[in-house]
Amino acid sequence: MNSRSMRLVQGAAVASTLAASVFTFVGGSASVASAASKKYTVAYVVGAASDPFFLSMKKGAEAEASKFGITLEFQGNPSVYSSATQIPIVRTLLATKPNALVLAPTDTKALQPLVAQYISKKIPVFNVDSGDANQGNITSWVTGNNSQGGQAAADALAAAIGYAKNCTSASKCVVAIGVSSITTSTDAARLKGFAAEVKAKYPNIKALQPIVSNSQPAVATSGFKQDLAANKVSGIFAIDGTDLEGAAQAILTAGSAGKNIKVVGYDAYSTTIKSMKAGKISAIISQQPALEGKDAIDAVYAKLTGKGKITKLLTLANIVLTPANCAKLCSTYVYKTA
Amino acid sequence: MSTEREPILELRNINKSYGSVKALTDVSFKAYAGEVIGLVGDNGAGKSSLIKTISGVHNADSGELFVDGIQRHWKSPHDSMAAGIETLYQDSGLAPDLTIGSNIFLGRELTRNGPLGKFGFLDQKSMERQALEELEKVGITVPLSKRTVSQLSGGQRQAVAIGRAAMWAKHVIILDEPTNHLGARQSLEVLKVIRAARDQGLCVLFISHTLPHVLEVTDRIIVMRLGKVVKDSLTSEYTVESLLGTITGLNT
Amino acid sequence: MSTVETPVAPSDDAPPLSQLRRLAAFATSQQAILFLVLVAVMCFFDFQNARFFGTSEFGNLIVDFSTAILIAVAEMYVITSGGIDLSVGSTIAFSGVIGAYAMQFLENHHFGEFGSLLVGTIACAGVGALVGLINALLITKARLVPFVATLVTLSMGEGLALVFSKGGTVGYDPGAAVWSATGFWVFTWLSVIVLVITAISGIVLHFTRYGRYNFAIGSNPFAARAAGINVNLHVASVYVLSGVLAGLNGMIWYFQSSGGAPQNGIGLELEAIAAVVIGGVSLTGGVGRFSGIILGVAILTVVHDGLTFINVATTWNEVVVAAFIALAAVLQSLGSGARKRT
Repeated sequence: MNSRSMRLVQGAAVASTLAASVFTFVGGSASVASAASKKYTVAYVVGAASDPFFLSMKKGAEAEASKFGITLEFQGNPSVYSSATQIPIVRTLLATKPNALVLAPTDTKALQPLVAQYISKKIPVFNVDSGDANQGNITSWVTGNNSQGGQAAADALAAAIGYAKNCTSASKCVVAIGVSSITTSTDAARLKGFAAEVKAKYPNIKALQPIVSNSQPAVATSGFKQDLAANKVSGIFAIDGTDLEGAAQAILTAGSAGKNIKVVGYDAYSTTIKSMKAGKISAIISQQPALEGKDAIDAVYAKLTGKGKITKLLTLANIVLTPANCAKLCSTYVYKTA
Repeated sequence: MSTEREPILELRNINKSYGSVKALTDVSFKAYAGEVIGLVGDNGAGKSSLIKTISGVHNADSGELFVDGIQRHWKSPHDSMAAGIETLYQDSGLAPDLTIGSNIFLGRELTRNGPLGKFGFLDQKSMERQALEELEKVGITVPLSKRTVSQLSGGQRQAVAIGRAAMWAKHVIILDEPTNHLGARQSLEVLKVIRAARDQGLCVLFISHTLPHVLEVTDRIIVMRLGKVVKDSLTSEYTVESLLGTITGLNT
Repeated sequence: MSTVETPVAPSDDAPPLSQLRRLAAFATSQQAILFLVLVAVMCFFDFQNARFFGTSEFGNLIVDFSTAILIAVAEMYVITSGGIDLSVGSTIAFSGVIGAYAMQFLENHHFGEFGSLLVGTIACAGVGALVGLINALLITKARLVPFVATLVTLSMGEGLALVFSKGGTVGYDPGAAVWSATGFWVFTWLSVIVLVITAISGIVLHFTRYGRYNFAIGSNPFAARAAGINVNLHVASVYVLSGVLAGLNGMIWYFQSSGGAPQNGIGLELEAIAAVVIGGVSLTGGVGRFSGIILGVAILTVVHDGLTFINVATTWNEVVVAAFIALAAVLQSLGSGARKRT
């Protein structure tokens, strides 16, 4: 939507990255010449860099990179999760000739031509979080088990709304769904896992068309309020943190209509955990972004040095946080942004 | 014109230079209420510099300017407007998307009586009515003053613009090429309005390249060449040929 | 003296009266057509799901209308004055973030809910005024064209919102959301305030000297200047006004998202411009009715909300909105074409 302006902001960011990378690259060659231990530069491109999920991932990746002495170029459009803004960043970083690229593609197909260019320049490409539809060019993909997370969300939501007692084939329970983007592999996998589980186990749940929030909580709020006004909604599945914030907001402002609506959703932001503790959210599905970042760097290091093993597809389980286990788990899994 | 009358506008030895270029040299003339004066000359003769001096866009380097017998020094065009001089430039004209009434009162809007007026609330009805009346005084009848100017023909627009100047000018209106880009018939309408303004007792300075129009509507013609007044005579003393000759300097 | 016989009215190059009447009727009917279409669309939604004409959904529509109308009003003022303001969307983000910080600070210092909301609102309006002032200076002093000047502040606002918020929502405050939902019948107090501001803006635009100057400058700035209007001062004031309205809109979004989120309002300048276009306002300035943007925002709101309401995938939203913009633009060009032919 605002690609014009973001391109400006991002232009500046990329320019500085470029300068920095050129310097580190030159520095890298020098150290090779002196036959000291080789220094690597790794380009790491995410979706919306200011999303707490990616901030948390950045912390994990940076810690691991500094352990190995790897220089990390962590990039991403500050706030827009879109291939239109991601592609120029990835293209610019190619010119800096990094030793490897770690990419969280914002679209399952749009990044493929660029990935092929990296491969043709003998730069290995890794996926983290979301993945490319064509994994042939990808050395390794570290991701949360989004399909499993979607299934877990369906189970948690069915339990919260009291499926066995309240939902019948005559009077189905209506569930609203909010996603950030329908072309991202993670959102798609969660939605698929959720839908499959509902179909298999909960035939008396009717799922509405997903609200697309484009990562803006207020847009999700407005959409959920439509669903609430149009239907007798029993539950909401919010597929990521912005949708979860939006769902909590919609219920808060819906008054009595929102009273008995159960919410299950993704991403353990500090704000969403606060809402769960306040009883507004029944369960939070948490990913492990810091661990994803760490494991991605491990895979890169293994590829570049030959030390350690590379797993083609590494899936990390999604964790279900509930008010019952929160005291034990929440502090571990909350996305640490600073 | 009876010469013992006080001139409404008088210029004495006006000089104006732009850097090393002398635009006006010792320009002097007198203008009286109730006459149309043609101001003609080739491009660069100094017509524009002269009307800018009179209307207060800029000041003369030396010389004196009198309006209604009082010597004046303009700081801005507002001063000349306040002294009763209205200028209609080629590019200014009217706001096409506003109604005729709104244009007539543009910058001088009537506000309502009472507290609403203090907040700038407009008295549109009075403006539309008075605009109609004032335009009729200079011979313009517009059946619907609620029409926007963009819905008028070119001639009608120019007539309304002159009517506007005539309505607000106490003494002098300056018209810069008012018949430019108009067809023959539309020009005639404009000339009629100019005569009507004169008959109201205004002094009209009519600047134009279209010599037949100048000869038709003016009482007196001032010819300028290279920044100087070269001839100032009653219109009856000119023919198209002699006027053209005076402008170009080929038969003097 | 005697009046010269009707010298201007009956000339053959002037449009005859009956044709003009028809034209006038057509011009007003563009809005009439859009209004009928709007009603038809609403009836269609209600036919799909009879809860659409219920107080609950009307309440939703009014809230969503209220979150979109103020920047449309801002855009209306700027566009009719002959300019454009691309910075209104990012000002929502920027002012919301700064306002949220102000409120957070005051609440931490036990200022009380009402006091901090009041100061937060003033802070939002102040940030908007500042952005507007920068626009005004870039346009009237640095002589940038409005498109470029406000493109600068668009990027600046988005950037500063991210810098100050560090990417996350500032001042998460569910209490504000709860308050924002209180009201009577289908109105929230917040929407009542917004509607009052909107009504005042419309009255000022069409019935006062300030509004008259706005249209005059948009129609012909040279004529306005020649008429003694201080064009630069007015243009500057319009951008400041636009900024203040966008800043207040930022406060509305603060309530909508329980905090100042830097993503708020991104791209909304285009929605505002779309509403203005749908409402029949000329992008070249000087022409437009306030009722037009009310209609424009109402149509966008109903379409956005209604499609979700009847459970159509939201991906269709933009397509339907595009159809409305096309319809309005065609109506407008038919109207001006008819005017040219006479």
